[in-house]
Amino acid sequence: MAFAIINGLTTAMAVFLVAAGLTLMFGILRVLNFAHGAFFMIGAYVAWSLLGDAPDSLAAFIGGALGAAALVGALGLVVDQLVLRRLRHVDEHYMLIATFAVLLICVGVAKMIWGMDFHSADPPPFLDGGVAIAGLFLPKFSLFVIATGFVVFLALEIAIHRLWLGKMVTALAADGWMANLLGVNVPLGTTLSVVASFALAGLAGGLLLPNQALSPALGDTYLLLAFTAVIIGGLGNVRGAFIASILLGMIESFNALLLPNLPGLAVYLGMIAFLLLRPNGLFGASAS
Amino acid sequence: MRIAFALAAGALMLSLPLWANPGLVFIAGVTITGAVFALSWNLLFGFTGLASFGNAGFFTIGAYIAAVGLRADHGAWFLPLVGASALAGGAVAFIIGIVALRRSSGIHLAILTLALSEVLRVTVSHTAALGGNDGLPNIPRPRILGFDFGAGDRYYWLLCAACALLAAMLWWIVHSRFGRVLRSIRMDADRTRFIGVDVAAYRLGAFVVSGAVGSAVGALYAPWSQIVTPDLAHWIRSTQPILYALLGGASSFWGPVVGALAFSALDYATRTLVGLSEIVTGVVLLVVLMAAPDGLIGLWRRFAPKLSKSMTPAPRALSERGFAEKMS
Repeated sequence: MAFAIINGLTTAMAVFLVAAGLTLMFGILRVLNFAHGAFFMIGAYVAWSLLGDAPDSLAAFIGGALGAAALVGALGLVVDQLVLRRLRHVDEHYMLIATFAVLLICVGVAKMIWGMDFHSADPPPFLDGGVAIAGLFLPKFSLFVIATGFVVFLALEIAIHRLWLGKMVTALAADGWMANLLGVNVPLGTTLSVVASFALAGLAGGLLLPNQALSPALGDTYLLLAFTAVIIGGLGNVRGAFIASILLGMIESFNALLLPNLPGLAVYLGMIAFLLLRPNGLFGASAS
Repeated sequence: MRIAFALAAGALMLSLPLWANPGLVFIAGVTITGAVFALSWNLLFGFTGLASFGNAGFFTIGAYIAAVGLRADHGAWFLPLVGASALAGGAVAFIIGIVALRRSSGIHLAILTLALSEVLRVTVSHTAALGGNDGLPNIPRPRILGFDFGAGDRYYWLLCAACALLAAMLWWIVHSRFGRVLRSIRMDADRTRFIGVDVAAYRLGAFVVSGAVGSAVGALYAPWSQIVTPDLAHWIRSTQPILYALLGGASSFWGPVVGALAFSALDYATRTLVGLSEIVTGVVLLVVLMAAPDGLIGLWRRFAPKLSKSMTPAPRALSERGFAEKMS
């Protein structure tokens, strides 16, 4: 039982790491980014290329993840300038499909650079193995993922609600035209948030690299779960995505416990129920 | 000129087994089913303004019904099986539509349909009676009234005929009164409601037709590929008709067919290099979205009059998006 909760929390924080960037992007651009999972996958590959199969130390591991975040953030800048910027005023369906096209390109490039073989990496020595807490044997890496999820969440909370930058971005998301009138540099703010969203995808890829089967299809599973978290949490709401991720992680974990024959089903059923009953999500503002 | 093109393309597809290698014929069959599947999706997107990301679910329902029926040696009843698949697909679409269309649209509808088809995929892949993850292999081709479609390329022609029939049916629906109402809903749902049209009922109707046709195409596909797997319901499969329709041009009826042919040719040409086919597909799609939102057909309408001024009297369709309502 307690083990299921820890497991659920691990899944939850892994999903949140992916969902955070996704929901940030939606808040600003009103785009559900299909390519987010692909950039997560690229982040994992970049970290693997930097670190190899077995990272030497915790510092190197975190450095690798930050490197992946920087590189994917830079890629985000390219995508923003080449694609997103040009389609900003187009129907949402076309935007959705454009991000899908970016996803295809990313998967193709990943296949060309890193090939089709599966790779994997170990956690750094400090996080390998487990600890016994109150008679439970818990893998250290799970605890690390949970801690990272909380740290990223707190950082985003502070950045969005306390710092000037976050306030600018919030204003911009609420009413770009008005923000522009009040002297906010809208294009700069938008680009910064897009880059931040991509960097978060890269960071998540780097941090979740250990214990994964690294393949070009890596993004798919996380993308769908993150979509679910973003929608249940209310599109564009980081706090909502955080709570929704925890909810999802628990659903997933107890699904594995209670319905071992149908893994992954309860999450979708939960999402469908949510979409029908509360289409605006937990904390979503009602559609204006 | 357009009719000449269509006839030439039709003759090319029909004569394919006579001169092409079996691999190419197989791809052609898959392309034809994909094209009609894309037509059924575009009835929702291009003509009603609803984006579904879960139509692969309907395709899967039909494919599994046909697979189970044929494997149980009911090959003589293949055409009724296709009909039953259409009914089943339509019924499922009706149930989903009644709940989903009233409550969601736009991105919510896209994700809701995506989730529903994932539920189908997960369920099928864990149902032992349907072969689980491995699917149902060795599906025999039908044998109707003693005529064996398993021999040679006979089933290919049956596939062509059935798909042509489904496409004709969709064409008729789009160009009927029903289709005109759908188009007015896509252009402005509020005004259409205002003149006394039950918008929800028409949307539901389009959803049911799309589901029924998608399911029938799935049933035709099963004996062609001779294996069905839960991956048919994977969300990547749901994006296939979207690619076809946008590449060809979603505002034109035949756009998805043109897109399917162009896409398959592209895929076939780039199949040898790992990763290249995704990159080419993605880049082409992006270019189409940014430079020619009406797809290949839109491009053709824009440039064909200039190329052959003597043949076409006036450049009639400078198709801006939303104005390209002249159906081919």
